[in-house]
Amino acid sequence: MISFVRRNQVLLSAFLSVLLSLYIIAPAAKGHRRADPIGPLLIAAMRPFQSGIQMTISGIRQVYLNYAALRGLTAENAKLKGRIQELEAERNRHLEDESINRRLRELMDFRLELPSGAVTASVISNSASTWFNILILDKGKKDGVEKGMGAVSPLGVVGQVVSVTSRSAKVLLITDSHSGVDAVVQRSRARGIVAGSLESGPIMKYVKRSDDLKEGDRLVTSGLDGVFPKGLLIGTVSKVNKKSFGLFQYVEVTLAVDPARIEEVLVVQGAQAKD
Amino acid sequence: MKLSLLFLAVGFILVLLQTTLLHLGPFVPDLTLVLCVYLGLNHPTVGAVVGIFMLGYSVDVFSSRILGVNAFAMSLVFIAVHLSSRFVWVQNPLLSAPVVFLASWVKLAALMMVWTLFLTMDGLGIGGLKYAFLDALLAAVLAPAMFALLRRGQSYIESKQASVEGS
Repeated sequence: MISFVRRNQVLLSAFLSVLLSLYIIAPAAKGHRRADPIGPLLIAAMRPFQSGIQMTISGIRQVYLNYAALRGLTAENAKLKGRIQELEAERNRHLEDESINRRLRELMDFRLELPSGAVTASVISNSASTWFNILILDKGKKDGVEKGMGAVSPLGVVGQVVSVTSRSAKVLLITDSHSGVDAVVQRSRARGIVAGSLESGPIMKYVKRSDDLKEGDRLVTSGLDGVFPKGLLIGTVSKVNKKSFGLFQYVEVTLAVDPARIEEVLVVQGAQAKD
Repeated sequence: MKLSLLFLAVGFILVLLQTTLLHLGPFVPDLTLVLCVYLGLNHPTVGAVVGIFMLGYSVDVFSSRILGVNAFAMSLVFIAVHLSSRFVWVQNPLLSAPVVFLASWVKLAALMMVWTLFLTMDGLGIGGLKYAFLDALLAAVLAPAMFALLRRGQSYIESKQASVEGS
């Protein structure tokens, strides 16, 4: 027996880790979640590195844009080069500050339109896998962020907070195939659920065949899911296909927000959740 | 011990890169899967199993709504690779590409299994399969370079250890 275990210790331990994974996953079937003592520690350990890399990427992007603008300079500008670089560095800082200011001002203006209690948060990391669409924010329970709150930007809906630690929050993006936002068509008030899809881009599910929908229609939050306030822009209808069978129409959606480019969000509470 | 630290550091760096820099449009090159395949083929120990579980769990912490999904998928990939290593001998790093390509599909099958069992989930159609193909291809293309680097690191540490033990 002992020799069998020794001979197959790698396989047996791998099977044990499969069983342990299933034990961790199992509560999800009932919509619950097992306590996670390691996750917050891991996020805290990674956070300085991730923030550093995000800031570096942002800086390099800005430097590259400015470098591209300067590429036409000839050799006669060489003696001015040092000075230009100094000024460029300063300008980069100003541009970056201005860009942050503009984004934060937009967020502040937008925040005034939202119910009180909205929290401004920055994105510190993206998903580590092609098959999941998740963001990690730098605000958590200590800042008033709770599980089930919505994440929005001035352009529209971003996603929903699915778990929170004391100083970070995990947001399931609207582009994830397991997400869902209760939506209405602004023009005809037809209802459905906007969700991500593994097939194509985001789609609007459960739209009745009889409902009036056409390309270009704007989709806004219904406010009925208790996650998002009513009337926030989600996106526009990009394709409608009324199949000859079935109860529902097939509707593709172009989102108002590109989640890959989001740097700051507002975390808000829907009307029902607030009550 | 030093080898375990090497793989731990590599895993940490890979998760860091995948959560920040390595976002190519909708795709994130699955370098953690490449590491999983490497360990399954070249370093199948109990420590490697624990490492793979933690690597999958780390990906879950940063990516998945449900914890354990990637840990499950990576553990299954490790088992599949370890079992196949009894029949397949990957000496040339270039040969790692098809192994990683197949491992990518094993991982996707594991993910689909969990999604179907534990969550409501639409099936994977033609669009999803194309997406999966490109994802697997991306991992396979990057695999030889990563295998070569990992092998070099492993050889370096093993030779150091051997010289210490020899003296």
